[in-house]
Amino acid sequence: MSGEHKGGFLSTYVFSKDHKYIAKQFLWFGLIWLLIGGVMAMMIRWQLANPGEAFPLLGKLFFPRTGGVIDPDAYNMLFSMHGTIMIFLGLTPALIGAWGNWCIPLMIGAPDMIFPLLNTLSFWTVVIGGAVGAYSLFVPLGALEAGWTGYPTLSTTVGTPGSGETLWAIAVFIIGASSIMGGINYITTVVRLRAPGMTWGKLPLTIWGLFFTAVLNVLFLPVIGSAMLLLIFDRVYGTQFYVPATLTSGGGDPILYQHLFWIFGHPEVYILILPAWGIVSDLLSFFARKPAFGYRATVGAMLAVTVLSAVVYGHHMFTTGLSPMLGESFMLLTMIISVPGEILFFNWLHTIWKGSLRLNSAMLFSLGVIFVFGLGGLTGLFLATIATDIFLHDTYFVVGHFHLTMAASALFGAFAGIYFWVPKMYGRLMDERLGKLHFWCTIIPLTTVFCTMFVSGWSGMPRRYADPTSSPYVAELQYLNEITTIAAFILGAAQLIFAFNFIKSCFWGKKAPDNPWEVGTLDWIPAYPVPHGNFATTPTVVTGPHEFSHPALGPDRDWISQTEALPETEGKTA
Amino acid sequence: MTLSHSHSVRSFLGPVRAVIATVIAAASLAPGALAQDATRWGPKESASSFGWRFDDLFMLIVILTGVSFLIMMVMLLVPVFRDKARAGHKASFDHGRSLHDKRFTAIVSVIVFIVLDAWVLVVAMRDLDEGFWNVPGPGEAPNAVRVQVLAQQWAWNFRQPGVDNKFGTPDDILTLNELVVPASAEAEGNEDWFAGRPVVLNLSSKDVIHSLFLPEMRVKRDANPGAINRMWFTPIRPGDYAILCAELCGFAHYQMHGKLRVLSPADFDAWEAEASAMALAAYDENDAGAQWAWDWQE
Repeated sequence: MSGEHKGGFLSTYVFSKDHKYIAKQFLWFGLIWLLIGGVMAMMIRWQLANPGEAFPLLGKLFFPRTGGVIDPDAYNMLFSMHGTIMIFLGLTPALIGAWGNWCIPLMIGAPDMIFPLLNTLSFWTVVIGGAVGAYSLFVPLGALEAGWTGYPTLSTTVGTPGSGETLWAIAVFIIGASSIMGGINYITTVVRLRAPGMTWGKLPLTIWGLFFTAVLNVLFLPVIGSAMLLLIFDRVYGTQFYVPATLTSGGGDPILYQHLFWIFGHPEVYILILPAWGIVSDLLSFFARKPAFGYRATVGAMLAVTVLSAVVYGHHMFTTGLSPMLGESFMLLTMIISVPGEILFFNWLHTIWKGSLRLNSAMLFSLGVIFVFGLGGLTGLFLATIATDIFLHDTYFVVGHFHLTMAASALFGAFAGIYFWVPKMYGRLMDERLGKLHFWCTIIPLTTVFCTMFVSGWSGMPRRYADPTSSPYVAELQYLNEITTIAAFILGAAQLIFAFNFIKSCFWGKKAPDNPWEVGTLDWIPAYPVPHGNFATTPTVVTGPHEFSHPALGPDRDWISQTEALPETEGKTA
Repeated sequence: MTLSHSHSVRSFLGPVRAVIATVIAAASLAPGALAQDATRWGPKESASSFGWRFDDLFMLIVILTGVSFLIMMVMLLVPVFRDKARAGHKASFDHGRSLHDKRFTAIVSVIVFIVLDAWVLVVAMRDLDEGFWNVPGPGEAPNAVRVQVLAQQWAWNFRQPGVDNKFGTPDDILTLNELVVPASAEAEGNEDWFAGRPVVLNLSSKDVIHSLFLPEMRVKRDANPGAINRMWFTPIRPGDYAILCAELCGFAHYQMHGKLRVLSPADFDAWEAEASAMALAAYDENDAGAQWAWDWQE
């Protein structure tokens, strides 16, 4: 990157306003937090399979007071922070921050984001949020222990004294502000800075996914912000928004928080998954060498999901004492989401049907999204249906379901993005053999982990038990916990293959050609290193992003750049 | 109950050995564990009048989603094996935007909605209206066994009205982590939803949110501070069943379990009379912690 910038060290390497550098910052920031959250997951799994036994190797370092044993307080802290870190500090930056920044200007043919300073601010705000969250791990009485959902009254001073929980709420508030800044920037950039000819119908589907995510970010992050602000007031200033009259002189309501949290919380699932859907929709077409099947239907389905995501949140609250009429309405609305969901799957499967599939790492992870999101999406029906959700609510069935949908699918989308765009980002190819090894060593244990969780949950194992052998009913399921833990450790170890491949390839990998995947989107036009400002001359778009294997292209070539006119339409385009 | 094989993944000495050990353990442990007596696959048999509704609906959704998933996987794997890139092979050119494609998409969407969603929705609504959310209203179940539940960190307080059938009187039976109710064999398969003696609960909490989970009864309901929630079930077989807390409630959440003792009707009447008499004899009006009853919510 050096040389392109005019400016000092700080404005080049720290507070850069170049979207490409910020994308890299987001990516590395997210990956580091994914590693931290992943180590926490290993500790959680260790405790569940071996309750009361010291965590090997690192245990004495992290839990010196107990000689490496994870006590219930530490356990509650681990799964609470694991959730918060993975969602807000891991996946959000690595998926939305990194690919939003990288793809939007490059794929729409813009010189940069429309508000470069806001972009810099968005990244450094999430860093501050992360620092507050990290600091909360070291305060007296420990960090957040009320789950990543932070339900009052457990999350008020009634249940959790100490500053850890307050710092968590502040961190989420700050990170939310960062996402709002990013969202405003993404929306405005897509609306205002598309290259000439880049009509809405010619946008790559990646951009559509990121665009809808940005809309949801701008609409719903303020809701979690206000929920957190009220919680901070309750904790710090003694207000009683969430504390009922039976506990104090006030007259608050803990259920109010649940409404606020899930009005944000359900769209958050789609905030994480929509960019992955967009990336996958493009990559399946790119590597099947076939146009994306039903482009408009895919965009329409993503739009429908975006709208519906705002009106289904009640399905998180079926056991809270919700009015039956409200509950049944939420059940119906939730089930309606399966229609756009089905259209997406239908279009993806038709995109690869009769294609010419290049099964490289990026493609494998895209196909992996179909598999894991299929598993996760279909199991959602059990939880949307109140009569089955009553039993399954707050069991491991839910844990398996949301990890497959929002965690595994989003992570696979991020991995696909990394394998796909690193050649332009770092000018070097990822090691394909290691990439394929990484894929198989990820998807097999991952499926084992979360499908075993379905069995545990169906068998009645509640979530968030520090010692599952304590209750006889749950202790009978301990063998399932052991299978899950073994698979989880293999899954964790497999990510070291990725870490090695990523670092090795970024800095010492084989030099990449300008357009290694032979695709037509604008992001592959500038040569590495892409200069500040991206395009020497503003590209003019005349063709859609997925015109693969067009008959007019002849036998030797199966792709065409978005700036090139298709032979048969030559002369007709404006 | 303790299980000895929880030590089998203990010997992590180094990362390399760990990986080898886990692979070997994974291959050897799974079938061994499944064969053990103290293990279980699926929930314990339903012991309530409408517990079968969960079991049946769960299996229906397993079949519907299972078939959908298989179709998807076939459509995924066929091109992966058949349409791999190779010399001389060219992808077909198809945007999927012909009228035929649009119609096909619409038809599949309608079928998916009817088969996957509408079918399950109708069954679930019936189950809710006849079972789970059909809490007996005023006068609907005069024989009901009424229980007030006050959850706290980390225990379940149960209050039964005793022989005078009034809450907040000295003969109220107070139990901790153990709920005693009668079985109603006649409720099994009965078209009168409230046959026998349904157990109706009022739930609240002293401190944080808890959730009363009775897995063998197939019911769960949150106990919220500052509010009263209702739930019901009719046990059909005597026996000891699990009480679990399903909502994270702090340090000892995992230890907040208890026992649901379901007695035969005769045994229950005898127990109720004796427990109520003992409660009356031991009543202490200065014991502030025992004065928590509320007006019954129907």
